[in-house]
Amino acid sequence: MTHDETLAYVQAAAVAVRLPLDAAQAARVALHLQRTAAMAALLDAFELAVHDEPAELFRPAPFEPPRGPTP
Amino acid sequence: MTLPPLSLAQTAHAVARGERRATDVIEACIARIEATDARVNAFTGTRFDAARAQAQRVDAQRARGEPLGPLAGVPFAVKNLFDIAGEVTLAGSKVNRSHPPAATDAVLVQRLQAAGAVLVGSLNMDEYAYGFTTENTHYGPTRNPHNLRCVAGGSSGGSGAAVAAGQVPLTLGSDTNGSIRVPSSFCGIWGLKPTFGRLSRRGSFPFVHSIDHLGPLADDLPGLALAYDALQGPDPLDPGCLATGMAPVAQALDLGVKDLRIGVLGGYFTEHATAPAQQAVSLAADALGAHTGVHHGVQWPDAAQARAAAFIVTASEGGSLHLPALREHAADYEPLSVDRLISGALQPATWYARAQRFRRVYRDKVNDLFRHWDVLIAPATPLAAPEIGTEWIDIHGQRFPCRPSIGLLTQPISFSGCPVVAAPLWPTGTGGLPLGVQIIAAPWREDLAFRAAQVLAQSGVAHVKEVTL
Repeated sequence: MTHDETLAYVQAAAVAVRLPLDAAQAARVALHLQRTAAMAALLDAFELAVHDEPAELFRPAPFEPPRGPTP
Repeated sequence: MTLPPLSLAQTAHAVARGERRATDVIEACIARIEATDARVNAFTGTRFDAARAQAQRVDAQRARGEPLGPLAGVPFAVKNLFDIAGEVTLAGSKVNRSHPPAATDAVLVQRLQAAGAVLVGSLNMDEYAYGFTTENTHYGPTRNPHNLRCVAGGSSGGSGAAVAAGQVPLTLGSDTNGSIRVPSSFCGIWGLKPTFGRLSRRGSFPFVHSIDHLGPLADDLPGLALAYDALQGPDPLDPGCLATGMAPVAQALDLGVKDLRIGVLGGYFTEHATAPAQQAVSLAADALGAHTGVHHGVQWPDAAQARAAAFIVTASEGGSLHLPALREHAADYEPLSVDRLISGALQPATWYARAQRFRRVYRDKVNDLFRHWDVLIAPATPLAAPEIGTEWIDIHGQRFPCRPSIGLLTQPISFSGCPVVAAPLWPTGTGGLPLGVQIIAAPWREDLAFRAAQVLAQSGVAHVKEVTL
């Protein structure tokens, strides 16, 4: 997205969620969103299969008391 | 001015043995806060009268021969996102000032008090925990006790600075993307980010439900272990608390590392570390290597993507949480983070959904890595504490925006949910400032991270330094 495209997106999305934004703030928010877009592109390039489900209630592993070094 | 003469564990032992009265400990603590906090700005609220009364109860208990808790008489303070009964939970904000006072203490505050610790006040932080520097516009910046021109780190900056300044030996903080580990690194103290879901979050103001962790910061490692053990326990009323039992670590501290497989993270964790950060890791690796073989260049899976996903999930959940208040009071939010918060609220849903799908794949890869390793080490921050107001930092000739980039090395780890002990090291080339190392273990294996940390503490490589204020 170019800066102008990002700015247009920010202004439209702000209307969609009923968030008042003046022009100066919309421009600053667009700068942040452009940085995040670059990160989203990294994830977009990451290969995910259709059956890869989201981590809804994230659990790093089943809870288990320690028993010594990891086998 | 010197630090209080006893560390956390020493204080607990001295009170338990009757060598020090709890009331004397609290008076010394109050005097230190009053003498130093105008310069450090760690505290946003104090409750000295209540602390004195609680200390008197500890001394009375001891005089009656009643058993004391493991932290009896130990002063502590909490990041001001923890509920304290009768006080408004500010979470570093101006907006929350209109909220009603908390009805009860947060669960972790209750647990420390049940162990005999004495609450003396609440601590400064980045607004709503969205930051790594505690440059809080509403309450002023918290300053690094080792160099008052520098940041203390964040978002639990008051929690780090209060311990480093010798004001209290124990604090509580929160860590979503590094907010315990960063101030621990910048302030030269010990910190623990436990496994995601280990400790109850009930009674704390949330930031990002799917990544928020709470944990302790302390001036010695045995004390950190004592506090962590006191904080543990299931909480059926907190959907974010996944632990169904306790796994105490204090008794396992001295088991050593001879039977542990220890690795040093390379790749992303070297590329984003300045020379002092790499030196800190080398010092730790050498100390651990004296006991066991340490392998270098271990590859943590998809670290850059994990950092991106953590960034996106944080922005989206944080922005969504605050959207109702932003509609009415955006002008009252922290100027340094409000635009990021709004940007997060407006992110396309597909970015968030993809980040959460990535997280499940990522978790499995991280857990696979720990089939081969017991403990992995990496720098906690890319550099030592920058000066307050710094906008850009340089890492290997590349320019990064300072405030978000301080978490480059912590974000991939917390996104995996793995436990981390942050150890205070003192490499050269930092102008005398500390720089911490992350000691990372598999989910639910805090004990292994503590054992490695204890070797660093006993070797003298990792330690807390007194400051002159």
